[in-house]
Amino acid sequence: MKKKQAVAEDKVEMIPPESSQEEQGGEAPVKAKRSKTEEVVYHPVKLSRSDLYRPPTAEELSQLKEAESLFHCSLLKMQMEELLKEIALSERRKQHIDSFIQTVTNLLQTVPESPEVEVSDLSWLSGAVKVPFLLVPKTTKGKFHMAPPASVDLIGSYPLGTCTKPRIMVDLAVTIPADVLHPKDVINQRYPRKRALYLAGLAQYLTSSSDIGTMRYSCLHGNRLRPVLLLTPPGKDSSSFSIRVHACPPPGFFRPSRFHPQRNNIRIEWYTELQASKSERIDPPTPHYNSSVLGDLLPRAHLQFLCAISSQCSSFANGVALLKVWLRQRELEQGTGCFSGFLASMLLAYLLTTHRISNTMTAYQLLRNSLNFLASTDLTVNGISLARDPDFTAPSLAEFHSAFQVVFVDPSGHLNLCADMTACTYKQLQHEASVSMQFWDNPTVDGFHSLLMTPKPMMRTSDHVFQLCELVKLQSSCKKLNLLSELMDHSGNYIHTVLPFILSLLQQGLGQRIRLLTHSLSPDPEWSVESDAPKHRDQPPLSFGLLLEPELAASVLERGPPADSPKASEFRQLWGSRSELRRFQDSTITEAVVWDAKTMCQKRLIPRQIITHLLQLHADIPESCVRYVGSMVDDVIKTGNEVHSTGEEESLLVVQSYDDLSRKLWRLEGLPLSITAVQGAHPALRYTQVFPPLPMKPDYSFFDREKTTRSLVPKEGKPCPAYVTPIKVICHMEGSGKWPHNALAIRHIRTAFHIRLGELLKKNHNYTCRPCPTHLDVWKDGLVFRIQVAYHREPQVLRESVNAEGLLVVRDNEEVQALEMATIHKPLLTSTLHGLQQQHPCFGAVCRLAKRWLGAQLFSEHITEDTADLLVASLFLHPAPFTPPGSPQVGFLRFLHLLSSFDWRNNPLIVNLNSQLTAADYTEIKNTFMGSRESLPVMFIATPKDKTLSMWTKQAPTVQILQRVVVVAAECLKLLEHQLMDSSQIHDIRVIMRPPLDAYDVLIHLNPKQVPLLSQAVDPPTVTFSRGVMTGGVGKSGGALPVIDYNPVSLYLEELREAFGDLALFFCDPYGGTVIAVLWKPKAFIPVPFKTSQASARSIEVTGEEVNTVPNVKAILEDFQIMGEGLVKSVEARTEKWSF
Amino acid sequence: MAPSKKKHASSKPCIIPGGFTVLSLQFSPDSAAQHQLFVKEHKVRAEKSSGRPLDRTLFVLNVPPYCSEAVVKKLFSQFGSVQSVELRDHPGSSKESGPKLSKFFRAADKKGFNVGYIVFQSSASVSAAKSHPHDVPLVVCTELHPVRTGVQKWIQEYTQSFVQPDKLQQIVDSFMEGYDKRKEEEAERQRKEAEQQQEDEEGWVKVTRGHKGAKARPHTEAANQRTLQKEMRKKKRKELMNFYTWQHRNTQKEHIADLRKKFEEDKQKIALLRVQRKFRPY
Repeated sequence: MKKKQAVAEDKVEMIPPESSQEEQGGEAPVKAKRSKTEEVVYHPVKLSRSDLYRPPTAEELSQLKEAESLFHCSLLKMQMEELLKEIALSERRKQHIDSFIQTVTNLLQTVPESPEVEVSDLSWLSGAVKVPFLLVPKTTKGKFHMAPPASVDLIGSYPLGTCTKPRIMVDLAVTIPADVLHPKDVINQRYPRKRALYLAGLAQYLTSSSDIGTMRYSCLHGNRLRPVLLLTPPGKDSSSFSIRVHACPPPGFFRPSRFHPQRNNIRIEWYTELQASKSERIDPPTPHYNSSVLGDLLPRAHLQFLCAISSQCSSFANGVALLKVWLRQRELEQGTGCFSGFLASMLLAYLLTTHRISNTMTAYQLLRNSLNFLASTDLTVNGISLARDPDFTAPSLAEFHSAFQVVFVDPSGHLNLCADMTACTYKQLQHEASVSMQFWDNPTVDGFHSLLMTPKPMMRTSDHVFQLCELVKLQSSCKKLNLLSELMDHSGNYIHTVLPFILSLLQQGLGQRIRLLTHSLSPDPEWSVESDAPKHRDQPPLSFGLLLEPELAASVLERGPPADSPKASEFRQLWGSRSELRRFQDSTITEAVVWDAKTMCQKRLIPRQIITHLLQLHADIPESCVRYVGSMVDDVIKTGNEVHSTGEEESLLVVQSYDDLSRKLWRLEGLPLSITAVQGAHPALRYTQVFPPLPMKPDYSFFDREKTTRSLVPKEGKPCPAYVTPIKVICHMEGSGKWPHNALAIRHIRTAFHIRLGELLKKNHNYTCRPCPTHLDVWKDGLVFRIQVAYHREPQVLRESVNAEGLLVVRDNEEVQALEMATIHKPLLTSTLHGLQQQHPCFGAVCRLAKRWLGAQLFSEHITEDTADLLVASLFLHPAPFTPPGSPQVGFLRFLHLLSSFDWRNNPLIVNLNSQLTAADYTEIKNTFMGSRESLPVMFIATPKDKTLSMWTKQAPTVQILQRVVVVAAECLKLLEHQLMDSSQIHDIRVIMRPPLDAYDVLIHLNPKQVPLLSQAVDPPTVTFSRGVMTGGVGKSGGALPVIDYNPVSLYLEELREAFGDLALFFCDPYGGTVIAVLWKPKAFIPVPFKTSQASARSIEVTGEEVNTVPNVKAILEDFQIMGEGLVKSVEARTEKWSF
Repeated sequence: MAPSKKKHASSKPCIIPGGFTVLSLQFSPDSAAQHQLFVKEHKVRAEKSSGRPLDRTLFVLNVPPYCSEAVVKKLFSQFGSVQSVELRDHPGSSKESGPKLSKFFRAADKKGFNVGYIVFQSSASVSAAKSHPHDVPLVVCTELHPVRTGVQKWIQEYTQSFVQPDKLQQIVDSFMEGYDKRKEEEAERQRKEAEQQQEDEEGWVKVTRGHKGAKARPHTEAANQRTLQKEMRKKKRKELMNFYTWQHRNTQKEHIADLRKKFEEDKQKIALLRVQRKFRPY
């Protein structure tokens, strides 16, 4: 007994801490809110001992267990809950909506009757309201009059509870009274027209009411046969939601069997307005027209059906909401032929009724299962049906398949819910679903973020994008493709008539080159009630996206069947005059098409050649209508003069020359120690140098000669000679007891190695060499390689020192870090990224675009080449939610997006090079990162070899610079995407490469004559200078050593930074920039007491006993001029704020 | 230029509270702006080193980057003949001694603002410099002694960076010779020390700090650490973790505490994200 009592007491005691815990939980958000205005910082949780070790309740245990077992971690569960909270409608909003619905319903009930007139007679409408319908052909039979609706009902997502923010749409079905309609109205668009008239009548009546804000027409999913009326509430919250008024026939007014996909409801004679010589032509079936009318009959039945389903499954609404978010991020839930929220709930209903998911599952599981279903089921081949026991008049699935591309039959068994969807859209959906499943299963990917939080606009998703402008031209392709009956079925909407044909044509032509062909869903047009319905041609241009297959996309040859095979004629028919017979090396003779492209940048555009050729040939669409935006940005890294090239070929030349050098180094005989490794340590050797070094041949007469070595040196008074990049190569020497154990001695021995290597290379291969204590320059194939000998124990020697007590201590210092960076980390990074380039052919190009942009925006000094390369590598290694970029442009866009959207404050960017990191490593990195955030670099990049330090970003960027980068990147991305998508005018892509200079305090303008890289400038210079380069073949070896690594601009910058680094920041575009922008550091300009350690470039102000110093701006500005004598054209001080 | 004449005409030298005299300096005769040099006699208690005799050394602050040692020497020879000039990037004791290095192996000179130690032949020059009036500027670049800056200087530097390979080899050889010699001497010294510890004729051994063979104190930091860790491991191995019931219960408790902690952490992360509006999908 006593024991029991004790237990009971225990229980009583347990309650208080529980409740206090809850109170704390309640308080947390309040606290968080309060801190919103202050700094938002993550502090590691500190739970008191009593909190951690108090005995658990059963409820708490089960909660913890569920979180552990159901989700990757409980974080995901919470994230989903928060997301659902964000998109759910608030109670206040619902009340608003309900009251507005009530007003509208009441208003609608009082619509006055009007006298009966002919349908084509529009005189009863006042001029202020137009009919939302394209009246082509003009005449129709039938009578029409206005009458109050038979009923007004809520349909769609709102009553079902699946309505989500943003763009809240509440659907209201207004039933047209039966006496307005006639059962035969199905034929020849009579019913759709009456419906449009009825809407116009409603609109006319509603205009007089003050309870309604704005009124616009739109049409349901872009179908012009199904106009709707959009009403918004008056006042300030007019944009918060809108009511969509549908006009519907009374339920069961038309017999569903009339809308069988094989039946005709539009007569040719009527449509063409020709008394077609009583031909025995049978009227073709009109499946799309049928389904659009049938769709109006069923919404109430659908709502009932879905309500029944959702009442059984508690998380149905949340599941639909998540699915809708997923669809919306992929731009799949709006427009013609979309996978709308309605379809999403139907899909979930299908999965529930077929018991693929159970009623007890959570929203997260619903989403996961439906994605899994979408990924594994092809509705273009095996359609699905919700109909349990369809009546005998219902069409079979096969009949649906013959009429529509995608089949998903509704519960009645008569309607195909996916009637307007193209096969391509479904394939896109399927692709997205399967990609999403992959990311979800990958423990190293933040599934929540990549699936539900990241938008995937077409511009950033597809490798190449092209647009069809001037959609009028599609009319002629209708003729060319002989699509009259389809045109009739789509009631004259030539765009949607042609689209499936164009898509299949392109699919056929591009074949293996692409993984996926997608197209934009034309958005629902909206227009005011006072204007006529917009014409089809006023639609925004159609965009198509290609996801390229990297290996095959750039192939110049399209090999067809052998000449004698029956398929040959098909091939010839497809390619027209481009197809020709060719004999191949394996002695087969086949049909083939050869596209002409020499360089990589031309090859990348072969899909464009194919597309324009096919569209011209088969669909009569002229080339001028096709706006191809695959490689517009690439211009800025174009080099060649005669043949356009984006530098892939030049990089390859450099790499080949390096390979040759490395082979020759290995074979050298007569070295005291053998070479153990030769590694490249320069961006050019991993294809990421913005402008790869070009082989050059110096013009000797342009230079002076150095006296002893006869090497070329720049001549005073001439323009600065062309810049020769030294390409860094690290040469590791064998370890041996002979190496001294002393830093200085190692340096001398290294010099001896440089001398010896130079001698041997000169003797064996006649390369001109120049040994220095730090490196050996080798002049080879018109390029300069800078070989540095490394000894693997040198860092260790540098680290060791003996302290006062005779204890040997090992300490890191800057010298060691610099050495390890140069001899270990950089070569490793170079070889790793070289490997990445082999996997992804456009990796290099993306890096180069990214670095060109960073340079142009004056950030190169802060985001170094290696950092930029790593950032780009992360795009390729962790593409979620995308696929790895397949063209430089899309890679660049994603680079800008990464820069602008990554949360550097709270997340490490993990670049899993060679996939060496496991999921456990990821958590470890994140934890150590969180634990010591304050002391780590602002931009934290972790790699397998560097999990905790982020050595590449240790020095730079600083917080301020990073913030600036983020802002500029976001702005550039917005501008660039807009320019690429907007076909209406010709844009200058280079705008994003021109930095805003008004933020800087001083501009130092340079003399272009002394800027050796002038030709690489963003805007090609107007004047060019002779820089001592001869055209013609480049010597393999020998010859005088050219001027190496002599760039006055970088020398000047170096001096400036060294002299004034603590007073100002200096920005310059390393690729031909002629302006150095200077930004004073505000801190340096606060007067400080005179100190011997802080007197540089300062002047004093004496006030009594106090001596303060401030920067001597006047003298500094003059120093800018003096130190850059000959290089500086002018120094422009733009702000007066510092010159007191 | 007639500095002596001007000196008479002008007012007093400008001396600021720190004891420094302010001299002004301009690059060329027609420069508009001037830098301020701060000079003072070199006075350091601790240092009695060779290079900077206390009475004859002038300490100069804020020497602009285009003033090399030669230029400074010339500038200050108007106060008396200069024995040597030493430029440093920050004030401090003179360089540690070591083997003499050729210019190719020395660290590159700093190109920023420097401090200078100017050693005059006589101590009178120091006071002459200190009493130099403020409004008579020193001029760096005159027609007689032009100072090269900018492109001219860079071309000159580039040209001077060349060295004949055999000359470089000589430098290396001579350094290594010296190094080997030093090393040999060192080895010799050690050998002698070891010899001292041998038995002498009478069988006595001079005992000094540990010798070969004896278990010596670990002399590197890493070894110290290793021994410490070894001890720890030993201790740990001896412990039994799952022996008593309370130990078992404790591990369970730890597990729940872990879960709780993670849960709390997640909750906090969420709260943070919510504040940052990170859940708005669009």
